[in-house]
Amino acid sequence: MLQPWIHVLSVVALGLAVVQVGPTRAFAADSSNEFVEQIVQLLANPDREFRAAALEQVRKSARGTAATQTFAAQLSKLDPSAQAELITALGDRGDVAARSAVVELLASSKDEHVRSAALAALGQIGGAEDVPTLITTLTASGAEQQAARTALVRMRGDFVAEKLAADVKAGTVPARSTLIDLLAERRASGQMGVLVAASVDDDGGVRGAAMNALGKLAGAAQVGAMIPGVLRAQKGGERDAAERNVAAVCARIENEDQRADALITALNGVDAAQRDQLLSLVGRVGGKRLINFVGDIATGSDAARRRLAIDALSKWPDASPADKLLEIAGKTSDPAERTQAFEGYVKLSATRDGRSDKERLDRMKQAMKEARSPTEQSLVINRCRTAYDVDAMRFVLPYVEQADFAQIACETIVELAHHREVRDRNKAEFDKALDQVIKISKDEEVVERAERYKRGETWERRKK
Amino acid sequence: MLDQAFVALQKFNWGTSLNEVAGIEDAVVTAHTDADLRKDLEQRLIAVLSTDVSADAKGYVCRKLAIVGSPAAVPALGGLLTQEDNAHLARQALERIPGPEAAAALKDALPRLSGKLKIGVIGSLGARREAGAIGTLAGLLGDSDRAVARAATLALAAIGGAEAAQVLTGALRASTGDKLPLIIDALLSCAESLLANHKRTEAAAIYKSFCGDEHPRLVRLAANRGLLACNSQQT
Repeated sequence: MLQPWIHVLSVVALGLAVVQVGPTRAFAADSSNEFVEQIVQLLANPDREFRAAALEQVRKSARGTAATQTFAAQLSKLDPSAQAELITALGDRGDVAARSAVVELLASSKDEHVRSAALAALGQIGGAEDVPTLITTLTASGAEQQAARTALVRMRGDFVAEKLAADVKAGTVPARSTLIDLLAERRASGQMGVLVAASVDDDGGVRGAAMNALGKLAGAAQVGAMIPGVLRAQKGGERDAAERNVAAVCARIENEDQRADALITALNGVDAAQRDQLLSLVGRVGGKRLINFVGDIATGSDAARRRLAIDALSKWPDASPADKLLEIAGKTSDPAERTQAFEGYVKLSATRDGRSDKERLDRMKQAMKEARSPTEQSLVINRCRTAYDVDAMRFVLPYVEQADFAQIACETIVELAHHREVRDRNKAEFDKALDQVIKISKDEEVVERAERYKRGETWERRKK
Repeated sequence: MLDQAFVALQKFNWGTSLNEVAGIEDAVVTAHTDADLRKDLEQRLIAVLSTDVSADAKGYVCRKLAIVGSPAAVPALGGLLTQEDNAHLARQALERIPGPEAAAALKDALPRLSGKLKIGVIGSLGARREAGAIGTLAGLLGDSDRAVARAATLALAAIGGAEAAQVLTGALRASTGDKLPLIIDALLSCAESLLANHKRTEAAAIYKSFCGDEHPRLVRLAANRGLLACNSQQT
């Protein structure tokens, strides 16, 4: 007996998509009384699916202000669940004629679903007068806060960003960092001044939000204005994030020279001591012109500045300053500086920056020649795992037999074997190396991984 | 190549490689833009149907005639409607061949058929959306074979339109029990086709008749949705 109902079910399921022809006509004039009456009747139906059929028409059809007002007038007659559904549909309908009914219900209802739906709908049919209510609700909890946030992102008009910016500036409202997040989400590039001012605020949360917003919205012209924000950020996580945001802005400047110019101009705007603090940022931005700028400091006469500059070169986004670091590591007589530069060299040489695996391995081989201690050699063996090539395994394998390096070599071989495309192409050779790892490694996880790779199985890295 | 294919067709069965009849396959494609080839190919295919080739070979020919066939192929295809082995593929061709000849062949065959073969032909008239068959199908709604009556209802639903709806409305009044859901379903289908053809008033009348509380929930839901669509189209 199911088959006869196929049509009925398909009509119900598809919402009569097939027969809804002539959309232009549907929008041509105000809706007929009969149509509106039918929708009103269905809105009051206790069956949710019948209501859904009517709500679909509220959203997309039955045009005209009079119809909107008629639908909105039903709100007071419905139970909270149906009220929330109708409010959402009225919001989607986008006719401001429903606003006053929605605002009224927001004021009178205690039901969280109704209130959340009303707040969200204000993002579609609300106006400037609703923005303060939405901002106040940002300090509420749960669904209402989320709805207010959504509404403040969705609401059209410059007045929203202007009000958000004014409240950030006035500093009289809580959740200022949320307001700044919203400015970023709204892509409010017209409020750059407020964001720059907030980037040096006394409140760390506000500063962080402002730097994040600038990281998304700012361009070359604002790089200089962001520098005080970096300097104001507390060392550690906040400073790190601030530098990353400036680097993100610089990364959007496609021309490498212009990118360097923007940063150098910004650096010229601060005093020498502050400039040294910004060397780490220079490293994050990278670029050939900046290598020379930092390289001169890294080989200068001031030891403290040299350390900062070497640190900056070590943070470079690609391997271009690697030779400079190797040169420093080779020439310096200060052991600490030697370690810092050598570690930086190995780190950059291992960076997966578009060079081939062979080039990365060649750098590692060169580093091994330059290494002066077992610690430095271990460092090189460890970083060989970034060259996904059987030759990297061949290079590391002899160290498995040397007590000082056996464990790190085993670990590196297993890491290389993790890459199936490398392992499977050289299965016999890898199997032999993994046998040695199984025999020598004292780390249970390394042994287990070696056994799995030999069996052709995968390994899911444990989350830290 | 084509001649070789027709020779191979004499021994064709569904296990035969299509490479053996590649000449026919290629000709069917070329015939899309070559009227003379199409006519010639059709005649040669029709001729095969009057020989004593296997049922598989005739089935293959029917499939090709579904693509290149014209009213000229109707008599030969009509002759297969009574043969259980080939009737379905012959119907498939007759469903696709344009013109009144194919419809007439299907209608004329009905009195001579029973059971599955009859149901198949009724289905083909529905598939052709053959408004001219509404009267014939109306006569089958009360058939003693429930499967035939059911097939006629479904065919009327597929044909759709005001005339089919009128017939089905009459049947609805005369029906009881387990026949009702199928007829209601068919009427809703007719309403849908009416609405698609902008016959809003007629469609709305059908939908309204099923909005009442006496009808099952799903019927009321479908009818209300249909009525909303009618009203939406009007505004």
